[in-house]
Amino acid sequence: MMILMIIEDMLAELGCESVTAAATVDQALALIDTQVFDAAMVDINLNGNKSHDVADALAARDVPFVFSTGYSALDMSEGYRDRPVLKKPFPFENLAEVLSGLLSR
Amino acid sequence: MPEMTNKSEEQKAAEAEVESFRKDLGPFVVAAETTRMAMVFTDAKEPGHPIIFANDAFLSLTGYDRKEVLGHSFNFLIARGADPEALAQVEVAFEGSTDHGSEIRYRRKDGSMFWAAIFISPVLNESGGVEQHFASFVDLTKQKRQQAQSTMMINELNHRVKNTLSTVQSIVWQALRKASDPKVIRESIESRLFALSRSHDLLTRENWDGAGLLDLVNQAMEPFGVANGRTERFVITGKNIRLPPNVTLALGIAFHELATNAVKYGAFSNEAGSILLAWTVEPTPKGDRLILRWQEKDGPPVTPPIRKGFGSRVIERGLPHELQGTVNLDYRLDGVVCTINIPAPRGARDE
Repeated sequence: MMILMIIEDMLAELGCESVTAAATVDQALALIDTQVFDAAMVDINLNGNKSHDVADALAARDVPFVFSTGYSALDMSEGYRDRPVLKKPFPFENLAEVLSGLLSR
Repeated sequence: MPEMTNKSEEQKAAEAEVESFRKDLGPFVVAAETTRMAMVFTDAKEPGHPIIFANDAFLSLTGYDRKEVLGHSFNFLIARGADPEALAQVEVAFEGSTDHGSEIRYRRKDGSMFWAAIFISPVLNESGGVEQHFASFVDLTKQKRQQAQSTMMINELNHRVKNTLSTVQSIVWQALRKASDPKVIRESIESRLFALSRSHDLLTRENWDGAGLLDLVNQAMEPFGVANGRTERFVITGKNIRLPPNVTLALGIAFHELATNAVKYGAFSNEAGSILLAWTVEPTPKGDRLILRWQEKDGPPVTPPIRKGFGSRVIERGLPHELQGTVNLDYRLDGVVCTINIPAPRGARDE
């Protein structure tokens, strides 16, 4: 859970003004429905398929996003192979680079 | 698999040959029949390598009766939709003697699958011609299952290590942001690192199956001298509820932060203060909830911090996120009160 803290701190360093965290797929889907986000980070987790619902919802609303994972081998299903992935732990510079990429589109 | 009622003359002759072996070679035949290794003999002179002898171990491995097997091609067992690669491997095994078995996926009579390593050797007659082939099967089912479990465990281990490293990264970031004095930085990093390490020890004791809440509290509070003399200043009320690993780790961190703050500013920062930690499991319409309450008293008068420290952030923001519950951190004048309300772990109410 400290991982959430460091991501928030990294984002604050990058000038991000507001960070909203969702712990479950349902929470995430509800948030995506009610709020406009500039970018998102989606943890793939064990159930890679489950977070695909979140990825789908983000893609449907054209919100740029990056996947994060603690697993080494990644079996991305179709349609998400071109999305950036951050492997945990990741250095600040990697996050900065990925987010710049996402937000410049 | 239909029984062959009209055996060809060749099949009958081949089976008869095996019969005559039985009479001539006594103990060797008994060995072949009774060994626990599944074996068959096939006729090398007929196409498809028909089976002319099958031992009991083979029949119990595959689920067939002897009469269902005799006369059938060796390959009838290969999983339906016969894999050309498997068929090719079997052919190679029949042609020469490879020194390692080929791993083939087979189908039993009841439709279930199993992996087997097959070892095929030619049986020569006096003039050096190949009369039969002898095939033995080693059932690889258990081995494959163990390999799969092993792979899964290693992936899980890697995942856990990555999570731990991310947590360490977070600990280091915090220490560096808040302080510039190397001693303070070091102390901050070490105290959290060792708390994490002890939580791991607690979980490893039970193979990462989980931990008891009471055991966790005792272990988390141990560095704060709760065992020696401070015990009357730290009162625990609650059952040793079983917690899964993620809850164990998260609460362990929370207790460490609460205790650290109590030592620095709260009930453990003077001689008189004490802490009461109590928990219960309550039924609610949405399911059972585990409700913990950390209550400090008789410490110095409390003022809410102007800027929340890392510990407070972890408790108020990280913990509810991680455990999908609510946390209330109340800086009351007469002592900090922290209430944690999370879904109760399965079976908690029965403890």
